[in-house]
Amino acid sequence: MPEALELAGFAVAEALAAGATQAEATCTVAERFSAEARGPRIEKLEQSTGRALSLRVFVGGAKAALGTSDLTRDGLRACVRQVVDAARFVADDPHAGLPESIAEADEGEGLGLYADDVARRAAEEKLEDALRLEAAVREYDPRIVNSSGARVADTQARVSLVNSLGFRGSYRASSAQRSVGPIAQDGANKRVAGYGTAARGYAALESTESVATTAAARAVEMCGARKPQTMRCPVIFERDVAAQVLSDIFSALNAANVAAGNSFLAGKIGERVGSEFATLVDDGRLPGALGTSPFDSEGVPTRRTVVLERGILQTYLYDTYNGRRLGAASTGNASGGGIGPNNFYLEPGPDSLEELIASTSRGVLILDTIGFSTESVTGTYSRGARGFAIENGERAYPIDEFTIAGNLLEMLAGIDRVASDLVFDSSIVAPSFRVAEMTVSGT
Amino acid sequence: MHLDAAAFSQILNRALGAGEYADAFYERRLARTFRLQDGKIHEAGVSLVRGVGIRTIAGERTGYAYTDDLSMETLLRTARVSALIARDGAARVDSVELSGEAREAPEMYAAGTLDSGAESATYVDLLARADVAARAFDPRIGTVNAFVSDETQEVVIATSEGLFVRDRRPLVALGVQCVANGSVRGNGFQGDGGRASIDFFATRTPEEIARESARIASVNCEAREAPAGEFEVVVGAGSGGVLLHEAVGHGLEGDFNRHGTSLYSGRVGERVASELVSIYDDGNLHGERGSLAVDDEGTPGQHKVLVERGVLRGYMQDRLNAGLMGVTSTGSGRRQSFRVLPQPRMCNTYMPPGESTYDEIIGSVKKGIFAASFAGGQVEISKGDFVFMLAEGYLIENGKLTTPIRGASLTGNGPEIMNRVTMVGNDARLAGRYYTCGKGGQYVPVGVGMPTVKLSRVTVGGSAVA
Repeated sequence: MPEALELAGFAVAEALAAGATQAEATCTVAERFSAEARGPRIEKLEQSTGRALSLRVFVGGAKAALGTSDLTRDGLRACVRQVVDAARFVADDPHAGLPESIAEADEGEGLGLYADDVARRAAEEKLEDALRLEAAVREYDPRIVNSSGARVADTQARVSLVNSLGFRGSYRASSAQRSVGPIAQDGANKRVAGYGTAARGYAALESTESVATTAAARAVEMCGARKPQTMRCPVIFERDVAAQVLSDIFSALNAANVAAGNSFLAGKIGERVGSEFATLVDDGRLPGALGTSPFDSEGVPTRRTVVLERGILQTYLYDTYNGRRLGAASTGNASGGGIGPNNFYLEPGPDSLEELIASTSRGVLILDTIGFSTESVTGTYSRGARGFAIENGERAYPIDEFTIAGNLLEMLAGIDRVASDLVFDSSIVAPSFRVAEMTVSGT
Repeated sequence: MHLDAAAFSQILNRALGAGEYADAFYERRLARTFRLQDGKIHEAGVSLVRGVGIRTIAGERTGYAYTDDLSMETLLRTARVSALIARDGAARVDSVELSGEAREAPEMYAAGTLDSGAESATYVDLLARADVAARAFDPRIGTVNAFVSDETQEVVIATSEGLFVRDRRPLVALGVQCVANGSVRGNGFQGDGGRASIDFFATRTPEEIARESARIASVNCEAREAPAGEFEVVVGAGSGGVLLHEAVGHGLEGDFNRHGTSLYSGRVGERVASELVSIYDDGNLHGERGSLAVDDEGTPGQHKVLVERGVLRGYMQDRLNAGLMGVTSTGSGRRQSFRVLPQPRMCNTYMPPGESTYDEIIGSVKKGIFAASFAGGQVEISKGDFVFMLAEGYLIENGKLTTPIRGASLTGNGPEIMNRVTMVGNDARLAGRYYTCGKGGQYVPVGVGMPTVKLSRVTVGGSAVA
């Protein structure tokens, strides 16, 4: 799409004209489709084309950022002047600036970024998917009496990046997803569960039947849940929740947090911080995965980075700026003005989730958590949770209204089994894993 | 803006199709942010969100489309896409005719400074003062990060029922995060602001905010790991309002109740909490972070009684859900931007004062936890299970605050916890104005408030097992 490249180029030229010494602009044009079904009807249908431009300007070592959806020439010019003026109030920072080396623009051929079935699939079929999801969860079990809705959504986007050192790159990407949130009636209580599938295109998605069955089973199996006893015991994180734990660990590996003193992993390169089962990888080039792209938001080519190898911390994840601050090269993790994951994952192990459960005499299986981390500095972890009590290697009964607590460093060190059920359906993913001991707070 | 009554009329006629209602939401939100790190201004940011969202309603069906291209050709095409949901029916012919200027919403905020151009130096100075004050509070403060933001959102809402209204909403915020190095590294955060101009910080000074953040960091750097298990818990005045927001508020939003997915569905008139508990949601508190002169559907902000002496009185409604439930909107229709549909949301949610003093409440606890403030929380609305993350907490032993504790979540079930309110303080106040509420991926500014409240039993999710 030449229009987007041209707009990005225009913004960069305007920034230089306004007094910036360097500038970089990304223009994203995305077509979005979304349909939601509840019961027998489509309740929401959304279709839009959205455009946005983000710009980073440097006046010497002072940086400022702009995000705008006004892409008229006059509108852009006015915004660019404001942001260059604002940069004059920012302190000079010797590490600020564009990446030195300019890579050959790579359009992402062979990375499987775009699936043409997103454009090809008729809107009627997408609506039919949503309706089938709704019908299937309600047919699964008589206890499923309601739903928070079934959703089918997709996007097709063109990302174009231009910088003042001569980088010009552009690629096309797509994504599709299906999800549903059935509700089971459990006496006076309602038990909601959600499950979904996401990929670059429709062909790679789990079938509607499989999504509906998994979601419905999750709602029904929580019926009769009670509070567990307060105890210390092994904790198994099912893969969706395992990915949430990995997301907290990612924050501590984010070099911006390390440099700002906000990471419990600061100063630990080369040290053992995890068990031998903890191998963490960030890979921006896995074909077809949702976190894959040819270059990051600064135009640095993406790559595969082993972050934790059998428990030994190898590196943090850097953009150009934080790499310079900490004396390292960018790992191609620049994302929207900060640092983000490409495909960040825990290496899978040999076993199934069922084998993890079978090898646990007394513990808990966590299927969902709520809450968020507030202590990135210490790694303190505490979440509301629900799942199953495990007794004698079996799911004994469902449990809810409890918390699990520990410390992320201790959790990394405590990983003693990892399952094989890894799926790249998000940019942070993990197989199910077990932590040897955590605190469960219930009654 | 070139979109006048005639342009909106054309858009709405196209969007209405065979539907019964259509609206168009124009937004222009300009924000400026400055961030301080390591004692220096680290980064500046400018953000402009501008576009039009168009919606068509036909019974329980909603069609939606948005565009950032404000040419009439694209706007009309967008309106046609919105109307696709209602294609099975006879289109009405040009039934919408708006005229004149958009009516101005009632005055509810102090005027914003942004478009009249506050100097960048003003923001920079506020941050520098916060940094100095935080470091001066305690030599153990090693890290200070601070930000200040100033935005003005102009919205114009036009509907097929003839509503044509404009609102200009200012919003300022200043936040300070500190890390203190003691026996552990302690984190502190405090923020404030509201729907006011940057002059807000002439009376609520950055020094006050920074010292409060530094104080919390200092407490937390000597805090011990929180205990695990069930305890009597006293929730502090102000940010304790997060408890109302999560444990009750979300469950009273109209969409969940129309769909019957909330545990409060169909329970208006029933007792849902201890009779000591009343809960209000108010869009009309002058200058507060969650206040709205009109909501994002053009309905005036209101004072809503949600729970009165333990009895559920009503839900918070947007237009769609109110219409389908046969009631009227309570001015609770809010959206993050023109790119998303409005949802029923909270504004400023709080509990009025009770009769006990703070000292009486703390003095009545033999062994328990004082949750002085919360960093945030989350709820699952169907069963009502919630968590709150503690920002500052203490053990209570024999009626006195003793050891500071850190790193705990409180968890439980909304209605259960509201039935366990056994004392309510006379010290009701709103929390520092920095809370943002997320729902369905949409984030909007809100206010929370509460007096000191005692709960007879709550699960505390620390890692220290007695």
